[in-house]
Amino acid sequence: MNKFTQRLTGKSVAIITAATWVLVYLLARWLLDNHQLQEGLRVVVALSPIVPFAFFLVLVLANIRQMDEFHRKVHLEALAIAYPLAMLLLMLLGLLELVIPLAPEDWSYRHVWQFLPLLYFIGLAFTWRRYL
Amino acid sequence: MKNRLKVLRAEQDWSQADLAERLNVSRQTVNAIETGKYDPSLPLAFRIAELFEKRIEEIFIPDKEN
Repeated sequence: MNKFTQRLTGKSVAIITAATWVLVYLLARWLLDNHQLQEGLRVVVALSPIVPFAFFLVLVLANIRQMDEFHRKVHLEALAIAYPLAMLLLMLLGLLELVIPLAPEDWSYRHVWQFLPLLYFIGLAFTWRRYL
Repeated sequence: MKNRLKVLRAEQDWSQADLAERLNVSRQTVNAIETGKYDPSLPLAFRIAELFEKRIEEIFIPDKEN
C-alpha cells in the first residue's frame, strides 16, 4: 500500500470526509428550505454535495483496493443484496404514489436516498453472518 | 472445499493473526478459509502452499461432487 492510499484509508480521514458530506448536504437543505436565493445560486447550492461526495467516492475506492479478496467478496455480495432492495424500495414508492397521495414533505427522493446506506448495511450484516 | 490449513497453522504454532500477517490478508479471511466458508483464489492458494512448503493439493481437498 503506498503512502497516498494509506492516508486515504485512515479512519480519521473517513470520518472527516463522511462528516463533511453530511454537513454540506444539511447546509444545502437548510439554505434551500429557509432562504430565497436566486435560481442560479439555488442550483449551485443543490449541486454542492457533489464535491465532498466525489472525495468520499475516492476514499471508498481506495479502501476497496486495499482490501483483501475475501473482504472484496463480502462487500460485493452486500451490494448484490442492497441494490435490488433499493430498486424494490423505489419501485414500491413509485407504485404507492399512484395509489396513495404521498405528501412530498413526507416522502420524496430526498428522503429515499438516506435509506440506501441502511440497505447496504443490511446486506453487509447478511453476508458477514454467512461467512463468520 | 476442505483444507488442512488449521492443522498446518497449529503445527507452526501460529495464531490466525500470525498467518494472516504472513499472507498479507485479514484474520477474518484466514478464519473463513479454515472453516471452509470461503475458497481462496488461486494466487492466494499458491501463497499458502508456498508458505507451508507444500503442494496446493496437499492443503486443499476438493469436495467429492467436484
